[in-house]
Amino acid sequence: MLCGLVQDQDDVPVIRFEQVSKRYPGNANALEALSFALAPAEMAFVTGHSGAGKSTLLKLIGLLERPSHGAVTVAGRNLAQMRQRGIAQHRRMIGMVFQDHHLLLDRSVQANVELPLVVAGMPAEERAKRARAALEKVGLGGMEQRLPVRLSTGEQQRVGIARAIVARPAVLLADEPTGNLDPHLAVEIMGLFAEFQAIGTTVLVATHDLVLIKRIRKRVLVLDHGRLVDDVPATEVAA
Amino acid sequence: MNSREQAATRRGAPARWWRAHRWALGQSLLRLRERPLGTALTVAVMGLALALPLSFYLVQINLDRLGQALGAQQALNVFLKQDQTQAQAEALARTLRADPAVAAVTLKSPAAGLSELAALQGFGPALAALPNNPLPWVLVLRPRATAAPAAVRALATRLRGNSAVALVQDQAPLRARMDALTGFGRRVMQVLGALLALAAVLVVGASVRSDIQSRVDEIHVLQLVGASAAFVRRPYLYAGFWLGLLSGAVAVIVVLLLELLLAAPAARLDASWGGRLHFAALDATPLLVLLVCAAMLGWLGARMASARHLAAAEPN
Ligand SMILES: Nc1ncnc2c1ncn2[C@@H]1O[C@H](COP(=O)(O)OP(=O)(O)O)[C@@H](O)[C@H]1O
Ligand SMILES: [Mg+2]
Repeated sequence: MLCGLVQDQDDVPVIRFEQVSKRYPGNANALEALSFALAPAEMAFVTGHSGAGKSTLLKLIGLLERPSHGAVTVAGRNLAQMRQRGIAQHRRMIGMVFQDHHLLLDRSVQANVELPLVVAGMPAEERAKRARAALEKVGLGGMEQRLPVRLSTGEQQRVGIARAIVARPAVLLADEPTGNLDPHLAVEIMGLFAEFQAIGTTVLVATHDLVLIKRIRKRVLVLDHGRLVDDVPATEVAA
Repeated sequence: MNSREQAATRRGAPARWWRAHRWALGQSLLRLRERPLGTALTVAVMGLALALPLSFYLVQINLDRLGQALGAQQALNVFLKQDQTQAQAEALARTLRADPAVAAVTLKSPAAGLSELAALQGFGPALAALPNNPLPWVLVLRPRATAAPAAVRALATRLRGNSAVALVQDQAPLRARMDALTGFGRRVMQVLGALLALAAVLVVGASVRSDIQSRVDEIHVLQLVGASAAFVRRPYLYAGFWLGLLSGAVAVIVVLLLELLLAAPAARLDASWGGRLHFAALDATPLLVLLVCAAMLGWLGARMASARHLAAAEPN
């Protein structure tokens, strides 16, 4: 009898939106009655016109914003019930790549990439090793001691990506991570995200780059004025 | 995370705690070094603010000593008439010893009084020129510490009425005035000391606040990568602690310099009072207490500033 109640782990979604709406003060709804779920180790794109609500969706998952209505659940926990300590713990299991990179411009590239590991209390040698590996993965090997201000926008974005993956988070959120990269590099970064998916990370990428979406062939959530207007399974993405 | 990694994580908790603190410590020192002028200014202002209560304390313990030095003269000096003999003086002393308000009575002969006078600078030749000893017998009467001032006053009045007594010198009223004065001074110093300690907290608080405000972006990024409130706050608390400790050191140095500057004039003042004043310097205990208090005040100021301004920095 008990066995009947225990669900298979893979069936429990890592991310679940239930009738989620978000309204910023003085604006129309940025998201409206949004419902969807992402399974563990699933990778999906969120796409839509500028202002469709892609960034808002990711911010709700990272608890940078709170929904006006509905419930966001991550790894089985309702984010609405999270307070201070819970929020910090929650963010430690998520790697976030931001549209504006959010780097510390007066710290070295390495110091920036190491930050999530510092917060996690990792020893310095191990931090350095992991940061080097992450930078290698985004094609910035050897740039550890540079200051971010001395890097191009695309390189800064890749430092942000390295910081997001360095702690091997369970969930990876990326907001237009390839916006400043040339097409060749963009494909490579997406390949990197797919690698993370392959080892069990749940990946959600906001982008309006349809060419990229068609090449990578993952599930696609299409937003229009805050509404989910299409949810295309990976198998049905036209090449 | 597999079960072996989980076990390692649990075992690593104290190590993680220690690393987090070491990181915060390093960050706090970096912060102070990154703003040398601001740090120096804060330390100077807070140091002077703390030097004042400490100097007050120095003044207070010396006033207390002065009071004690004067208190030693609280005795009643009973000068007998010239015609009183040793036997009569001794008889009077015996009856006085029986008085419940009296702790001890010492007899001072005219000869002893004369040599005491001669010992005082400059009197020697003048006294030598005297044909005979003009000094009377004197009874030095020490009241019991428990005796009520009124009882001592009544005793003095009674002695003044005694036909054998020429003069009664009573230091008690002077002592009472002195006590009132030092008590008042002590209260003034306590109030000023508390105000200056508060000022020190505010100075550190202001410094930490401006530090936090110039680092809103950094705080934001730390929060985004999952830093807890305690983790974000810790470097500022350490910075406050260092600012407090450095200020305490400045205060100690200022007061030691003050003592050094005052040593020579104090010695001259003491000598002019026949070496009865015994000015004291501060020993190590109040200096250490000040250092500890200063560090705690710095921490407190940082704690207050960070509680308010870090909450404001959290992305909602
Ligand atoms: N902080 C904010 N305050 C007010 N309105 C906002 C804020 N952030 C986003 N919006 C609005 O919400 C809508 C969705 O924005 P966003 O999620 O950034 O869309 P996208 O990332 O798809 O371009 C837009 O109309 C935008 O103007
Ligand atoms: Mg956006």
